[in-house]
Amino acid sequence: MSDRASYELISVADVLLPIDPPQPRPAPRAAPVLAPRRLPAWGILFGPLVLVLVWEAASQTGLLSPRLLAAPSTAVTSGFAMLQAGTLQEHFLASAQRAWLGLGIGVAIGLVLALASGLTRLGEASIDGVVQVKRAIPTLALIPLAILWLGIGEVMKIALIATSVLVPVYINTHAALRGIDLRFVELARSVGLGRAEFLRRVALPGALPGFFTGLRLAVTACWTALVVLEQINTTEGIGYLMNRARDYGQTDVIVVGLAVYAVLGLASDMAVRALERRALSWRKALGA
Amino acid sequence: MSPAVRIEALTRAFAGRVVLDGIDLAIQPGEFVALIGRSGCGKSTLLRAIAGLDDGVAGGGTVEAPRSKAILFQDSRLLPWERVLSNVTLGLAAADAEPRARRVLAAVGLEGREDAWPGTLSGGEQQRVALARALVREPALLLADEPFGALDALTRLRMHALLAALVARHRPTVLLVTHDVDEALTLADRILVMDQGRITRDLPIALPPPRRRSDAGFDALRGLLLNALGVPEHA
Ligand SMILES: Nc1ncnc2c1ncn2[C@@H]1O[C@H](COP(=O)(O)OP(=O)(O)OP(=O)(O)O)[C@@H](O)[C@H]1O
Ligand SMILES: [Mg+2]
Repeated sequence: MSDRASYELISVADVLLPIDPPQPRPAPRAAPVLAPRRLPAWGILFGPLVLVLVWEAASQTGLLSPRLLAAPSTAVTSGFAMLQAGTLQEHFLASAQRAWLGLGIGVAIGLVLALASGLTRLGEASIDGVVQVKRAIPTLALIPLAILWLGIGEVMKIALIATSVLVPVYINTHAALRGIDLRFVELARSVGLGRAEFLRRVALPGALPGFFTGLRLAVTACWTALVVLEQINTTEGIGYLMNRARDYGQTDVIVVGLAVYAVLGLASDMAVRALERRALSWRKALGA
Repeated sequence: MSPAVRIEALTRAFAGRVVLDGIDLAIQPGEFVALIGRSGCGKSTLLRAIAGLDDGVAGGGTVEAPRSKAILFQDSRLLPWERVLSNVTLGLAAADAEPRARRVLAAVGLEGREDAWPGTLSGGEQQRVALARALVREPALLLADEPFGALDALTRLRMHALLAALVARHRPTVLLVTHDVDEALTLADRILVMDQGRITRDLPIALPPPRRRSDAGFDALRGLLLNALGVPEHA
């Protein structure tokens, strides 16, 4: 039977039976897959798991020399031993303190600058250009100057982390404050909001999504800066641990260090996400 | 009785183009005035001048309007990050703001939705919250710029009835800008027709309530107004 004939057959049947009783809806036939279906929450772990298994197998079979890269199992054992000896916690705390102090200070400064510049003309005139110039200079290019000014100690490291963190916070918060919907400004005037109340109820909540975008980028910037800075004259911290391990050829300790960096990064990102979910709960209600 | 709104020789221009061209208008307290006119004839500009939201726009003339006024925008303009109740009380300093807002929300049929986020409400519900936000201030003057323009026909009819009932209770002076001749005829005591920055018609509407679109008087006025607006089959 040709396609044409079957088409006509169907259309005649449709015309003859115009008012079908309501049928239970048949299970939808396999719809064309336009976008991949969502992964279950743990689905994302599949790739890393395969990687670790391949890696372990390569180490066990001798394909991968422990001098180049330790086996995951060896790294786990070493990490556990370092935990029991207390060295890992000590260095972890040193790194985390550096990172979070720098992050906190940088975020606070970025936020204050963004508010001053986004809400006052004098502020914008004096601050915006400076931050834009700073944005053009990678923070790590400032290391030589920072060392001359602040020495090679903790202060220099925290200051540089803060500097690299404040830029994304500033840029995104400032843009959000500038982009405030003029219709809301008009509304605020029409209901007679004062300046303080306008800030509290319109400008700041409106800029919050931008701030969080900045914060997420800030966390990333914070780790990048931390890792580089910990290569410079440290006597504690994960970076120090890894440098020393390189000198002794302990690839297992290097792997442990990388894992700790990963944990720090993931934990911070999760904290930011949780904060964002709470602060922007009105968005979640829209399914956005 | 002195008028609630008095406008004399009001002019406004954007970039040298005259948009309001010498408007004189007096609106009595409690009067419900509808303003209709072709798109771009200056209705919103006039409304914003009365609302005092147009500083920086070139022009002259005098506008006297009560201090106590509320505006109903075409979009509901609710703050998405504030719940319904706080949207209604926005900028309201009264000590009893909250119980009042709850009462007005109940009056617009939104009892129990006080804690909802605006984004979860339907378009009609959002516009009712905006109406509650305007009315909770018990304004002497209510300015509305096509407040129901974005709603479907059925919801719009419901909103007309609601607005009529609430206005009958609180008796504010109302200036309603609309494109919809039937809306104007259903609600207003007086209809102004605007054209090219001037008021060209000023019609008292004496139709007795309840006004029905099928009534002969209603139909005759509709023809007259459509004619004044230059709609072809009525010209
Ligand atoms: N801020 C502005 N800058 C420049 N031109 C403007 C501005 N506001 C309004 N106009 C112009 O003034 C004229 C009148 O605008 P207005 O918004 O008052 O019209 P309207 O009668 O409300 O029209 P509509 O029914 O479409 O809302 C239009 O030609 C518009 O382009
Ligand atoms: Mg308009």
